[in-house]
Amino acid sequence: MTHRFFIVFFFFIISSLLLDAQTSPAVGLRDNTPAVHALANGRIVVGPGNIIENGTVVIRDGVIEAVGSNLSPPTDARVWDMSGRTLYAGFIDLYSDIGIPEPEADRERRSIDVLLRQVPAQFSSFLAAQIAAEETPEGALYWNPQVRSYIDGAMVFKPDARNASALRSQGFTNALVAPQDGIFRGRSAFVSLGEGDGNDLIIRDNVTQNISFDRSNRLGGRYPTSLMGSIALIRQTLSDADWYNNAHEAYMRNPSGKERPEMNVALAALTDVVRGRQPVILDTSDELAFLRASKIAGEYSLAMWVRGSGHEYKRIDAVKATGLPLILPVNFPSPPDVSTPENAREVSLEELRHWNDAPDNPARLAQSGVTFTFTSDQLDDKKKFLSQLRQAVDRGLSKDAALAALTTNPAQLLGMHNKLGTIERGKIANIVVADGDIFSSNTKVVDVWIDGSRFEVEAVPDVDVRGTWSVSAVDRDIEGTMEIKGELARLSGTLTIAEKDIELKPVNYDLQRLSVGFPGDSINVDGRIIMSATVSPEEMFGSGVLPGGRSFEWRAMRQEHFTPEQRERPDRKFEKVDLPVVYPAMEYGIPQKPEQPEHVLVQNATIWTQGPDGIWENADMLIRRGKIAQVGYNLNPPRNAVVIDAGGKHVTPGLIDAHIHTSIAGGVNEVGNAITAEVSIRDVLDSNNIWIYRLLAGGLTSANSLHGSANPIGGQNAIIKMRWGALPDEMLIDDAPKGIKFALGENVTRNQRRYPNTRMGVEQIIRDEFQAALEYEVAWKRWEQNRSGIPPRRDHRLETVLEILKGERHIHSHCYRQDEIIALIRVAEDFGVTIRSFQHTVEGFKVAEVLQEHGAGAAVWSDWWAFKVEAYDATTYNARLLHDQGVLTVIHSDNTQLATRMNWEAAKVVQTGVYEEDALSMITINAAKMLGIDHRVGSLEAGKDADFVIWKQHPLATDTRAEQTWVDGRKYFDIEDDVRMREEVREQRAQLIQSALAALDAGEQPRRGRRGGISPFEEDYSCMEDHYEIH
Amino acid sequence: MKFIKRSLTVFSIVIILCLSLQAQIPASPQQQPVAITGATIYTVSGGVIQDGTIIFEDGKITAIGAGLEIPEAAERYDASGKYVYPGLIHAYTNMGLTEIGAVDVTSDINEFGQINPNVRAEKAFHPESRHIPVARSHGIAVSLSSPSGSTISGFSAAMLMDGWTWEGMTLRAPIGLMINWPMITDNDNNNARNQLKEIKQAFSNARSYKKARSVSENHRTDMKWEAMIPVLQREIPVVVQANNARQIQDAITWAESENVRLVILGGRDALYAVDQLIAKDVPVIITPVLTSPGRPWQGYDEVYSNAAELHEAGIRFAISGEYGSANAMRLRHHAATAAGFGLPADEAMKAITLYPAEIFGLSDRIGSLEVGKDATMIVTDGELLDLRTSVEQMFIRGRKIDMADQQKNLFKRYREKYRQLSEE
Repeated sequence: MTHRFFIVFFFFIISSLLLDAQTSPAVGLRDNTPAVHALANGRIVVGPGNIIENGTVVIRDGVIEAVGSNLSPPTDARVWDMSGRTLYAGFIDLYSDIGIPEPEADRERRSIDVLLRQVPAQFSSFLAAQIAAEETPEGALYWNPQVRSYIDGAMVFKPDARNASALRSQGFTNALVAPQDGIFRGRSAFVSLGEGDGNDLIIRDNVTQNISFDRSNRLGGRYPTSLMGSIALIRQTLSDADWYNNAHEAYMRNPSGKERPEMNVALAALTDVVRGRQPVILDTSDELAFLRASKIAGEYSLAMWVRGSGHEYKRIDAVKATGLPLILPVNFPSPPDVSTPENAREVSLEELRHWNDAPDNPARLAQSGVTFTFTSDQLDDKKKFLSQLRQAVDRGLSKDAALAALTTNPAQLLGMHNKLGTIERGKIANIVVADGDIFSSNTKVVDVWIDGSRFEVEAVPDVDVRGTWSVSAVDRDIEGTMEIKGELARLSGTLTIAEKDIELKPVNYDLQRLSVGFPGDSINVDGRIIMSATVSPEEMFGSGVLPGGRSFEWRAMRQEHFTPEQRERPDRKFEKVDLPVVYPAMEYGIPQKPEQPEHVLVQNATIWTQGPDGIWENADMLIRRGKIAQVGYNLNPPRNAVVIDAGGKHVTPGLIDAHIHTSIAGGVNEVGNAITAEVSIRDVLDSNNIWIYRLLAGGLTSANSLHGSANPIGGQNAIIKMRWGALPDEMLIDDAPKGIKFALGENVTRNQRRYPNTRMGVEQIIRDEFQAALEYEVAWKRWEQNRSGIPPRRDHRLETVLEILKGERHIHSHCYRQDEIIALIRVAEDFGVTIRSFQHTVEGFKVAEVLQEHGAGAAVWSDWWAFKVEAYDATTYNARLLHDQGVLTVIHSDNTQLATRMNWEAAKVVQTGVYEEDALSMITINAAKMLGIDHRVGSLEAGKDADFVIWKQHPLATDTRAEQTWVDGRKYFDIEDDVRMREEVREQRAQLIQSALAALDAGEQPRRGRRGGISPFEEDYSCMEDHYEIH
Repeated sequence: MKFIKRSLTVFSIVIILCLSLQAQIPASPQQQPVAITGATIYTVSGGVIQDGTIIFEDGKITAIGAGLEIPEAAERYDASGKYVYPGLIHAYTNMGLTEIGAVDVTSDINEFGQINPNVRAEKAFHPESRHIPVARSHGIAVSLSSPSGSTISGFSAAMLMDGWTWEGMTLRAPIGLMINWPMITDNDNNNARNQLKEIKQAFSNARSYKKARSVSENHRTDMKWEAMIPVLQREIPVVVQANNARQIQDAITWAESENVRLVILGGRDALYAVDQLIAKDVPVIITPVLTSPGRPWQGYDEVYSNAAELHEAGIRFAISGEYGSANAMRLRHHAATAAGFGLPADEAMKAITLYPAEIFGLSDRIGSLEVGKDATMIVTDGELLDLRTSVEQMFIRGRKIDMADQQKNLFKRYREKYRQLSEE
């Protein structure tokens, strides 16, 4: 053991002698091997679109000295014959973790976590102390362990020979490596993929700050637990970094008499980021995440590069409009597993389409003029990079664009285009040598040169033993020919003696020594004969042993050299299916935004205006440019108007749901804190969601998308229209008032690991937060008077709460019991605030007069009850009693499926004695008033948005259905189009499944997912089932 | 967690005790003949009778038709302008077995372990559950209360929705052996495979137990296998929860090989097994109707129209609502939706009355309005499949039911509060 250690150690010293940094003192003798090379007679791809068909590159001391076609190598150069070779500038990977060690798992933190799960709830105060200790970081760091902006790639980097060699085999000579954990992950370092120590390999430190939406669980920390929480944390941290800078500057200018601002190395590390001087890289999981990233870049004027997802082609215009450069992985998906009818049924068109279209992504981005680079990131096997990349070239990415994405684009982004990216005089000698066109399927990277040093990708032996030899062993009857063939790593051979072929086994060849064996019966002896030889190009000689134990000598002369067989790699045996581009890129997607006719006239319908004009029988409604112009009798159609005969049908305003949780990416609840006013559903809207279409099919046109009910003060809401095919931000009702979710009762008190545990505590924590927001405002006002001293810190949470107190943000509060309803009203009244609405309000009927007097609306279910204790004292007469007492009453769903049939929810209320028209108001105009969007939607009145539904018959009947659903005077749903689209979806799936079967048949490995299950409520979060755990 | 559980238990027990004070009073047996007159009568089995009369005595229907002579002694119930239907049957619910979903200890649905063929729903049926009067107010006269959760969950029971004790409320039990068919997928999962093995093992064990008992009376009793004998003798069906095509197909094959009577519960993908369902005469309980397809490529209304498709294909079926007893009240909404999406209205009515009665062997007593059957019916103020309609009165075995429930009581109580406030 020790012996081996010393050998390793010895070699380590030897090699480090050769590779020592320039500042290290010499140990032993100096190495002065000449470093002048001429790579002659190669095809030199100087850069994209610039080729020297037969040229020479001269390298001196790691730098390209000359490039040209008629160049005679300098006399001191070692000449390398590059005939048949193609030379490219070294490839650059901007998103790598090579050489970055994983952070040590925080054992202490984990043990506390385990403890917390086991300790009985009675010890909650002890727990609170433990948690506080857990959350206190060591050193002058940020309070949140997910913020590790100070981790420096150049400090933690450890050369990683194995992975570097894998990347080199794909032509990479350089990589930008970055720490991989946390939301703020730290600073990247630009390294070369050669060999040596950090001083040699790291070219530049502190290149970018890498950020992620994904928290790292091994770092611990209770916040954030959701995507919207991550986004909020990124914002707050950036604001804090800005403040930190300003605060320290102010203090440095004149420290006397000022409170010393805190020391924080995590914030200090972000100075260049918030000043726009240092690029950030943010990694994304789909095209919507890309847009989220770009929004943050815009808000904080960040110089951002985005590590893409491969989904960008789905929203190419929006991606282009951001102007942000992309770092693209090439992990095109494997075919979905469609090998059984069960599996095939569970594969969505969305997944099939992406498999089909994903390799187009780079070509489409290039055509649109988006700047991008390629990365090997996201590939499990880095050695598949080139073959994946070639798929993109097969799909129309030009070779020049591909090469630029590998070389000049990344060099440009790094600001190192004067040193890297092309094979030009004066640049660093990073060169890829391939045995052909790198983008052709059979081409291999032979060598790469990094800083003028050659790295073999596949070691080629000095002498190739393969070929035909004439063998003779003096006096031993072994006279004949020997053929050695096969791949270098797996040779085979035959010996032919007297026209008899004998298989050689084994055939080994290493370090110019061949050893073989064969059965002796071929020369009439019993047993096996073994032989070995030392090999030179034209001759070999050695000795052998006969079965009897006697040795003999033998030799062989070369007859023929080895010529490899021409291997053609089979092409993919399936064709790409050409599908129309639709938005979103999934089932029922549409080719473009539905047109908005100048005029639409709906004739002869029963029109439920839900406004002061009531119900009109056999009437007409005129729409002009997306707005309702008039409801009346016998209206004349304007010229070129779209006329819809709705005889016998009913028309109502588009239905509105005051409480849904659909179309939210990355978690509905931020459970990392009891107060999370800073998080916002608007940041995480997900427009790629089949439920939007299904909601339209049920006549729903607007909704209030809310944070979950885990927190007394939850996140900000998003009031959206079901504009199917639009981007998340385009779904927002632009002038809808801001809102926020509050929650009371069991859901917020259930968690024994945090405050509050009782309704008493809920009242107090809300009051505390309101008070703090007021005092926050005072601090700012005081500072703004003379703007001297240390500026206050911008607190996104308190600023949101302050908006509430100023009446600029509506409270929509989840509640069940009457006591908590009154308690929140009294807190609000103490701060001069009106609660806009109570949600669920299961016991609202008990305190209708309190709600009415306060001016709060009540959104209720038609008939949900008894799923928990606070929902037990419930009645289906809730809406009726509230409505009778003059409370603005709304029927809500809190459940996406329920939201597709709100008309029936309203119908059930009629049973309790509510007039039909009033019941319909509870899902239209009342909801609009509750959300503050009644100037736009909720009733069919002149000047309002043309959001309406044409029903087959009476809207509350069970055999009715939405035949057309219009939003903004655009028809988003038509029951006849739906039939056609179902057929298209069926055909497209069938085509793609055939294509996937062909791919599987051709030997591609299927992508396995969760298959075979029916999960009707996948999207179906509901406050009713708001059970959460903090991990 | 235990501490919370315990405190919740105590809390809910207090609540349940309180509620029992305001619970409705079960009706006494029918004392004199009753004649409901002037109604539109949906017999379900024999068409619709306009301006009809229905007479019942000693809990049984004695006459039904238009222009009937009414016995002197009969109590008259004028239902002019109203509608009479058979009492609805909820074919799959945890009625009486649970009270508050989030409080475990109020739930007697899921017995410990995976193989529980010996447990029987009627024995844990809570006559004072507040859900029962609420369900009655929405027309449900009989619930097939069913255990669930484990692989073989136990036997369901047909429970009348009125009475003093579970014994008095049991219409018939056991009704069906509830089985959850495992979902076998490619990429897991020994769990599902083991469940399948356990089902097969249980039936094999029960069969050898039955043989052993027939050979020797002294063979020691095994509660589980003993309970399964009526299933092996085809006296009682197995009710297999299966939604996915593979589950349905595999369950049919299995039931055939075990020679047991099969009812499919769920049946979302039943259209992938039409031929076999018809050939083996396997009925399907569709549950629930009011939901959306699990696969995004499917049409938004494919679950709504599933019943119509099964009907057209000629498969025997019934419709149940949601399993949760608090939501039992929505049963007719499920049927109405099926009717709205292509199922003929009379078929939708049968799907929540006669068909479940036939599938579970109760049609001698309930499911339609016919002479000789139980006088179990409802009077409504409109078409039952219209959500705006209210149920006015229910009779169970001729007993006139107190139609109050906690939800109506809360309405009355708080209407009084606001009346008082308006006087101030």
